[in-house]
Amino acid sequence: MIFHPTVMALFAGSILVSFMILYSASYAFLILRKWDLQSGSELQLNLERKTYLISTLIGYAFAFELLSFFLYVFTADQIHTFFVGAMCAAGSLYANDYGYPTLILKLVNFLLAGIWLVLNYVDNRGYDYPLVKTKCLFFLLLVPLILLETFLQGNYFLRLNPNIITSCCGTLFSTETFVLPSAIGFFPSIPAKAAFYVTLLLTVGSGSFYSLKGKGGYLFSAASALAFAVSVLAIFSFISPYIYELPTHHCPFCILQKEYGYIGYLIYVTLLGGAIAGLSVGVLMPFRKIKSLSEILPLFQRRLAMASSTLFLVFTAIVTVRILLSDLILEGY
Amino acid sequence: MIELRDIRKVFNSGKPNEFAAVQGISLSIEAGKATVLNGPSGSGKTTLLSLIGCMARPTAGRIRLFEREITSLPERFLTEIRRQTFGFIFQQFNLIKGITALENAMLPAYPLGEKFSSIKKRGLHLFELFNIASKAYSKAEWLSGGEAQRVTIVRALMNNPSVIIADEPTAHLDTKLSLEFMDILGKLKEDGKTLLLASHDPLVYESGVVDRVVNLRDGRIEGAEE
Repeated sequence: MIFHPTVMALFAGSILVSFMILYSASYAFLILRKWDLQSGSELQLNLERKTYLISTLIGYAFAFELLSFFLYVFTADQIHTFFVGAMCAAGSLYANDYGYPTLILKLVNFLLAGIWLVLNYVDNRGYDYPLVKTKCLFFLLLVPLILLETFLQGNYFLRLNPNIITSCCGTLFSTETFVLPSAIGFFPSIPAKAAFYVTLLLTVGSGSFYSLKGKGGYLFSAASALAFAVSVLAIFSFISPYIYELPTHHCPFCILQKEYGYIGYLIYVTLLGGAIAGLSVGVLMPFRKIKSLSEILPLFQRRLAMASSTLFLVFTAIVTVRILLSDLILEGY
Repeated sequence: MIELRDIRKVFNSGKPNEFAAVQGISLSIEAGKATVLNGPSGSGKTTLLSLIGCMARPTAGRIRLFEREITSLPERFLTEIRRQTFGFIFQQFNLIKGITALENAMLPAYPLGEKFSSIKKRGLHLFELFNIASKAYSKAEWLSGGEAQRVTIVRALMNNPSVIIADEPTAHLDTKLSLEFMDILGKLKEDGKTLLLASHDPLVYESGVVDRVVNLRDGRIEGAEE
C-alpha cells in the first residue's frame, strides 16, 4: 500500500461510508417491510422520524461517492510517479487487477448515487413521504454495489506495489493495441464526430423542448443516456487526440493533467452532471401523478432538463473549442 | 376541527426514568369554540397542547388539523403550520428584553418574508385594538403584567392564526387582569378563532367564554373509557 494522503482519504472514507450505509440499510429494510402511513403506531411514528436520520446519512455517503470518483482518478494520476512505466492514471490503474474494475464500478455508482440524491430531494418536497419506499428500495439495490466498490478499491490500494512495471497510456490506449478502449479509437473520425454532434443536438434540443413545453420527458432522458455513452466513446475516439494533438493517442486520463490545463475535470464534470440530471428526469416521470408531488414535480423536472441541457451544451462547447484550436487534422484518419 | 386519535407521548422511552405524559387520548376539538384542558400539574395539559400545536411529536397516535393529518408531516411543513395556523400564548410572557413591545410582537411575522412596513402597520393596528398603543415603543422590561400579557396576545395574533393556544395564560395575572384577558378571548372567539387553553384556574374554566372543559388526570381524559 502507498501511504499517499488521497489514498488514505479514499480508503478511510470508503470504509466509513460502508458503515454508514450498512446502518442505514437496516432501517431502509424495515421501512420497506413495515411502512404504513395510515397507521399511528409507535413503530410507524418512529420510522417517520428515522427517515430523516437515514436520508441524511445516505445523503452524505452518496455525496462522498460523487466526490470519490474524481478523487480516485486524481489519486491514480498523482501516484503514477511510483510505478515504472506509468505516465498518468492509466498506468497506475493498470498496476494490478483491481484498478480498472474499481474505476468502472465507481462510475456506475456515481451515476446511481446522483440519481438517488435527486429522488431524495424530490421526496423531501412532498408532505407525505411520497417516494420513501422507492428510494429505500433503490438504496438497498445500491448497497451491494457500494460495498463491492469498497472491497475492490481496498484491494487495489492494498495490493499496489511500487516495484511493479506497468504499462503507460501510450500502450494501453494506442491504435496499435487491441484492448477494448483501443478498439474504440479505431472508429473513423468523421462518423464518430457526426454521431457525437447529432446525439448532443438531439439531447439539447429535446431537453430544451421539455423544459419549455413539459413534453417528451422519456425521449429526453433516453437521449441523455445515449449522449453520455456516445460522448465517452467520442473522448476515446477523437476528442483526446485533438487535445493531445497526437492522432494515435486516445488516453482519457492525460487530459486531467496540468499540461492540458486540467481540462479533463471540466469535461467529465459537465458530462456526468448532464447525464445524472437527464437520467433523473426519466426516473421521475412515473411519479408525476402522485398528489403531493403533482404541483412541484413537473416544474422541478423542467429545471432538471434545463440544467442537463446546459451542462451538455457547456461540455460540447468546451470540446468544440479545443477541437477548433487544435493544430491536429484528423479528418480521414 | 382538530381530531386526536389515541395519542400517546412517552418521554425517555425505554430508560429507567421513562414517563408517559399522555396515555391514549382521543378527542375532537370544534373549530370556532373555546376549549379548556383542565387538570392538576402533571396531568398532561401542556404536553397535549404542544402536540396539537406541532411543537412536539407524539410517540403514537395521529392528529388531524382541519382534515389534514399533521403528525406524519416532515418538519419543514410543520414549521409552516406552526407559523400560519397557531398563535401561542405562554405561561411566562417570554418577551425579549431590550427591544420594544412592538418589535416583540412583530417577531413571528419576520420569517414569512412580508414587507416590514406592512408588518409594522398590522402590529400597530393590533396594539390599538387592545388599548396598548401608547406602549408600543416601550421596552419589554418596562411593561406591567397586564400590558405584557396583551403584548403576548398581539404577538400570537400577528400572523392571523385560526387557532389560539394558551398555556396557563392567567398564572401570572391578578383577578381583574384575568377577567380582562378572558374578555379579550371572548372577542377573539366572536371573530371566529378557535381557542384552546390549558388551565386549572377557575376564572378560566368557569368563564362564560368557555364552551367545553376537558378534565385530564395522569395523562388521560377523566371519565373516558380505557
